[in-house]
Amino acid sequence: MVTKNSADVVIVGTGVVGVVIAEQLLDAGHSVLMIEAGPRVTRAEVVENWRNAPLGVKGDTSVAYPSRPWAPHPMGNEKPEDAYLQLSGPDSYAQTFIRYAGGSTWHWAGTSWRLTPEDMRLKSLYGVGRDWAIDYDTLESYYVRTENKLGICGPSDRGLQWPQTGARSAPYPMPALPFSPGETRFTEIAKSLGYNNIPVAQARNSGMPYDGRPACCGNNNCVPVCPVAAKYDAETALHRLEKKGATLLVDSVVYKVETNAQNKIEAVSYYDQHKESHRITGKLFVLACNGLENPKLLLMSKDDRNPNGVANSSDQVGRNMMDHPQLTLTVTTKEPFWSGVGPVVNSGIMETSQGSFRSEHAGAYFRYNNFARNRFVTFAALKKGLVGKALDEEIRRMTACTADVVAAHEVLPDPNNRLTLSDKTDWLGLPKPHIHYDVGEYTRRSAEVYSLPIGKRIAEAMGATDVKISPKFNQSKHIMGGTIMGNEASNSVVDVDCRSHDHENLFIPGGGAMASTACGNSTITMVALAIKSADAIVEQMRGA
Amino acid sequence: MTRQPKDLNGTLMMSRRGILLGGATLFAGSIAASLCPTLALAAVDAGTQGQFMKLSNLLIQHQLNPAVGARIVDMASGEYKNLAQMLDAIIAIAEKKNAAQVEDFFADIPDGELKDFAHWVISAWYSGCSSEKRNAAVFTYEEALTFRTTSDVVTIPSYGLSGPNLWTRPNVPLSAPMPRF
Repeated sequence: MVTKNSADVVIVGTGVVGVVIAEQLLDAGHSVLMIEAGPRVTRAEVVENWRNAPLGVKGDTSVAYPSRPWAPHPMGNEKPEDAYLQLSGPDSYAQTFIRYAGGSTWHWAGTSWRLTPEDMRLKSLYGVGRDWAIDYDTLESYYVRTENKLGICGPSDRGLQWPQTGARSAPYPMPALPFSPGETRFTEIAKSLGYNNIPVAQARNSGMPYDGRPACCGNNNCVPVCPVAAKYDAETALHRLEKKGATLLVDSVVYKVETNAQNKIEAVSYYDQHKESHRITGKLFVLACNGLENPKLLLMSKDDRNPNGVANSSDQVGRNMMDHPQLTLTVTTKEPFWSGVGPVVNSGIMETSQGSFRSEHAGAYFRYNNFARNRFVTFAALKKGLVGKALDEEIRRMTACTADVVAAHEVLPDPNNRLTLSDKTDWLGLPKPHIHYDVGEYTRRSAEVYSLPIGKRIAEAMGATDVKISPKFNQSKHIMGGTIMGNEASNSVVDVDCRSHDHENLFIPGGGAMASTACGNSTITMVALAIKSADAIVEQMRGA
Repeated sequence: MTRQPKDLNGTLMMSRRGILLGGATLFAGSIAASLCPTLALAAVDAGTQGQFMKLSNLLIQHQLNPAVGARIVDMASGEYKNLAQMLDAIIAIAEKKNAAQVEDFFADIPDGELKDFAHWVISAWYSGCSSEKRNAAVFTYEEALTFRTTSDVVTIPSYGLSGPNLWTRPNVPLSAPMPRF
């Protein structure tokens, strides 16, 4: 039975990982209580927040999701000293994520590249990083379930699917979305250089409704919010979970995970928005707060039995923080590409992420960003002082003839890339997370000798008259590594089911468990791991 | 549902993207957008409003929504103490040249306060905002003229202009006619 204070399974976080696990447990007959730090809002509110934001800051997703005082998340207008994320190191681990019911899939692009078998064996094949504790064949069936659960569309032509190595046991539930004219032209150009720009597998309804959500109609606003929910986001599942019996607490910030004498998890405690503390008990606990909040919470929960923090006998909690460092080439062309027709990301060159070179440097994945360009070019055109027809023509030209080509890189797990608790505190008095980050020589070398040379060749083939390259790596907002998976309790946090090595009734699924990043977006793998966890939890609960 | 001020024949019409959007959620959202909650309109006298629209129509040879103009002039009245004089001065320059379009008189506006103000007015209509900055006032999103210059091709983000999987089509050359707006 579920009450406001207890349930069979207590899930902290209402993002895609928590939601997928919750539904499977509810279907198996278990009571589920979910706790969300932030608010629950309507889609219309998010859409209007974004539409009402000034044109010059529409690229900042946080304008659509103002954080609540009790549940801070990164906001684009923060001064470094006041920021929620306290950052140090050669590279900035500046992330965007949101503490809202539904989590950060509110503003993901929906991109869903699977890992390759090779991505999971970096140490064995290339002598770098870590091998996963499971292999691709083990993960494959969970990928299929993820693709059906989220509604991920993709090509039926095996030659256009990713990965090319490794099996695929079932087709995508929907066909690939068509390319826009610009993407079609980009694909032709890539082909002329010997690269295959293939349709991205994406959690977006292609030509048909799916899971009670409508077909994508090309609003070109997947980031920061799909206005019609044609793109999967976890918010779309919350009502269904409630109908199945889930209890959802919002504006409730879990600040402590409590252990008992057997070192099992006994309860979690949370603050409400009035700073009053409450305690929730359960038989089994799932931390699904995201790859940054999970390690923060574990470190905050240290006790006499767990002096380094809960689940942290390995001292690996908060270490190995990873992402996909990206460099953007903003290209000005003679011929129009007209970004901004269809979804915002619809294709990619993935084969450049693979190869024996990975013993020397990182791979990279290239994508043509299909965001409408008006918001990027309007002020630049206005600053030229043009008026009348000349102004109209310049805005039109710059919108049509500029494009962003992004190179997203892999990074290696490095224990020195570490999240710790800052001595600065938030509105509730809880420590802010501090992250020290360096993308590392492996990734920097890729940019020098591999990714940027390829990117420049692509730009040249596009007929670029000007190319501007980001001066530093930006983050892709794919938070990975902080509760890393492994077979050995001495050097990893969770086992192959994302169960804590230290606490048999604590599961920490999601991106934090990923032992390598590869180059493709992480959510599909996070969800595959979540479904694997859910299977294990159902089995464990049956034993209980 | 979103409405556009007037079609080319002068008839009030429902926008195509408004029809495509449908749905109660977006209906509510579009109404909220049209109310533009970031701005609370203060009183600007009708004469100043009229002069502002007159100037705007001299600076920009496109259909301009007076409701958006009211938001811009309201902001301008707080920012520019000599707003009325500047409106009169620029209009007088245009009239002296018998200007039919901005190209006929813009070069005659003296550099400095008057020309800066003229650029600001143009920028406000094209960007829908008072500036590029984070704290800019928003006058309009969907009616910002920047989107009209590309309305034959590019989606105004969050307002789809095609339909399910209907965005494949030949690329439009730069030589294609500018949309009329």
